Amino acid sequence: MSLLEIQDLSVVYEPRGAVPTHAVKNASLSLEQGEFVGLVGESGSGKSTLGFAVTRLAKAPARISGGRIVFDGTDIAHLDAEELRTQRRGGFAMVLQSGMNALNPVRTIAHHFGDIFAAHGHVPKARRRQRATELLDKVQLPSTVLDRYPGELSGGMRQRVSIALALSLEPRLMVFDEPTTALDVLVQHAVMDTIRELQAAEGFTAVLISHDLGVVLESAERVVVMHDGEIVEDGASRQIFSAPAHPYTQMLLSHYADPRAEVVELPGFERKAPQDGAARPERAAAHDAIVVDHVSKVYPPPRRGEQAVTAVDDVSFRLEPGAAMALVGQSGSGKSTIAKMITGVERPTSGTVTFGDLRVDRLRRRQLKTLHADVQMVFQDPYSALNPLHTVEYTLTRPVENFAGLKGEAARERVLELLETVGLTPVEQYAAKLPHQLSGGQRQRVVIARALASNPQVLIADEPVSMLDVSLRAGVLGLLEDLRAGLGVSLLYITHDLLSARVVTDQIMVLHHGRVVESGGTTQVLRFPEDAYTTQLLDAIPQPARRFADGQAS
Amino acid sequence: MADTTADMTTTATPATADPGGPAPEAAHGPKRPARTRLGRTGQVLGRAFATVWSNPKARVGLVILGLFVLMAVFAPLLAPYSPHDDSFGRNEPGSAAHWLGTTGAGEDVLSQVIYGARVSLLVGFVAGGLSTLVAVAIGLSWGYLRGWGNDVVNFLVNLFLVMPGLPLMIIIAAYLQNGGLPMIILVVVITGWAWGARVLRSQTQSLRSRDFVTAAIFSGESSARVIFREILPNMTSMIAGSFFGAATSAVLAESGLSFLGLGDMATVSWGSMIFWAQNSMAILTGQWILLFAPGLCIALLATSMTLVNFGVDGLSNPRLREGTGR
Repeated sequence: MSLLEIQDLSVVYEPRGAVPTHAVKNASLSLEQGEFVGLVGESGSGKSTLGFAVTRLAKAPARISGGRIVFDGTDIAHLDAEELRTQRRGGFAMVLQSGMNALNPVRTIAHHFGDIFAAHGHVPKARRRQRATELLDKVQLPSTVLDRYPGELSGGMRQRVSIALALSLEPRLMVFDEPTTALDVLVQHAVMDTIRELQAAEGFTAVLISHDLGVVLESAERVVVMHDGEIVEDGASRQIFSAPAHPYTQMLLSHYADPRAEVVELPGFERKAPQDGAARPERAAAHDAIVVDHVSKVYPPPRRGEQAVTAVDDVSFRLEPGAAMALVGQSGSGKSTIAKMITGVERPTSGTVTFGDLRVDRLRRRQLKTLHADVQMVFQDPYSALNPLHTVEYTLTRPVENFAGLKGEAARERVLELLETVGLTPVEQYAAKLPHQLSGGQRQRVVIARALASNPQVLIADEPVSMLDVSLRAGVLGLLEDLRAGLGVSLLYITHDLLSARVVTDQIMVLHHGRVVESGGTTQVLRFPEDAYTTQLLDAIPQPARRFADGQAS
Repeated sequence: MADTTADMTTTATPATADPGGPAPEAAHGPKRPARTRLGRTGQVLGRAFATVWSNPKARVGLVILGLFVLMAVFAPLLAPYSPHDDSFGRNEPGSAAHWLGTTGAGEDVLSQVIYGARVSLLVGFVAGGLSTLVAVAIGLSWGYLRGWGNDVVNFLVNLFLVMPGLPLMIIIAAYLQNGGLPMIILVVVITGWAWGARVLRSQTQSLRSRDFVTAAIFSGESSARVIFREILPNMTSMIAGSFFGAATSAVLAESGLSFLGLGDMATVSWGSMIFWAQNSMAILTGQWILLFAPGLCIALLATSMTLVNFGVDGLSNPRLREGTGR
């Protein structure tokens, strides 16, 4: 008999005063003891809702509206809280996406373990510390961590602690909900390795919920694909990778490529800008270069007695008019700080930033408007970059009035033209919408339209697609490419995602601890990396192709 | 809530003439003659009212508050006599002619209670509104702008926060003796804005780091516009909450000052009724209703506004406002 049997499960969200949403529709799934199953889907596919329902962590307004969840012979779909609590030991545990924030900041790690041991009483007092050390050892943390407070640990360490805490009840089923999404690229890779090794050693059944098919294919033996609340495909990883049956799976899979490959293609994305920069596009918006010369940025020490933080260390580069350059590196590598200095938000500690004749590092607050007429920014998170209370039209009208000086009907025409440019048609309809009525990709298009309102020469895109679903990424990247080809704007593309850097940029700079470790043509650097750090970044990208090609698949 | 805001704007006119009531027009936001905007404002107010109404506690509060507002507006029609008419017998118990009896000076108690609602509501809404305006203007600019001015404002606000409110009120009121209602309003505003300013400042600080604020700066917006068009609308619930909080304490402060004999004793308010009742030792003569009726009204009015605040709390939940976003 299988360990977990989900039969015809439906979950519905019933928020007060809103239309109920059927997040999971008649899902059926069975998990065997010791299996490693990946649950993949884009946002809104119901994958997390299913995971929460399975561990009975679903809270109002979510409600299990039908079906059975049989765990080890008992139907847990309708157990009460106390019965559930006892079930958690030796039963099921969950590691959350924000698990690293789930630790109480005023209690040491040892306290966290103590609480669980005390609540279930399965470890005698004298052995608790020893047991906690064993558990930490399993997630590759030293026992010294026990006396630390959560704030003293890095994100990756905290996520490991929360995995160890979940393990402390010796669960037979572990659900990992996007366990690495909130972590840095390099750390992500290491934590996934730990999870994989742990699963192999402990033999529990693991469910890995992720939006990233690449990560799942690399780790799981079996993959379940969800779309719109329904399970559309369920099969062995190798089979899903080589012969996906459902069109949705095929679409997801088509968005993965190896940035090291000779030719990289993404569906729905077409390279339009001239690669070598020799042939100029018909309209050349950009005629000034951004020159960053020996720039450093040192932040004062966070606390007295600590060392000052050097975010950017002696970086020089030149962004030619009409060029596309990528700044890549893990979080904390200083790439966003560089963007802030170029846009005048921060001032460099030393060195100069010039744009045309403008000394950006010496601009006063009032003069920033002059700079922002030419240098505009596309933000990372389209959900927070738009004021939830303003319509799209208002958001776009402001920069049009401020920079182009257009008023009334002329401004409105320009706004509609901008919406047309970013492909939000019918324009009249989109103009009247509020941000929450738009999808993530549509919001990002509005953000791009706003950046274009001043007819800028340079666009600085800070991880513009990292918050979007894969199926939407190609569209937004394609739009950036169109703008470069059509309008001739320069593009500074900041990212940790080497694949997208490969497709939209010509030049690349790899940053590590604020220093440039490698730079050159994007294709050249990514195909034949010289610095060890670049190689490390490249290796951190999930490569299902390599796993299956090497024949080491289980 | 629609009535109360209307009431606030109409009653605010005499108070703005008051030199001590700094009422920056900034908080109103730039008014544009666009019809659609007016329509949308109406829609937003309607939705806000519906949100507050959907909370059972707030619904009770709104009903009580509405009754008091009606009582104040229609006082001349409702009251059987003039509140100053002292031609009746003294210290009469309740009767068909005088439901709640008469005072020691021979005035009708019921008429006084009904007219007293005018003073309490006027002081509550005007003083509450003015101190909220001050709190918004100071809290928002304090939270948004950076520089040395910040420390100065910080010092000032802390000063007003650590000074005990009632003694300060009594001292100011004693200095401005016989100033009438405007004096009381001024005293309440001076002692009441600091708390709201601090709350709004911290919210502003958390909102200013949001991407849409940075994006507005990139759109070439001036600081004032960023503060009042981008940040302010995202705090309406908090501002509404601080308004009702300030109005409640203004009602209580007015009653307290009048009861202590520091207000204008010629005006009929619930506080001054209790003052006179206390002076004529109403409890000893068995006329407890003289203390009880205005006291209950004060308590009910304060309670109703506190109850409304429960619904305003619901407004401040971004998920309620965002609807099904994300």
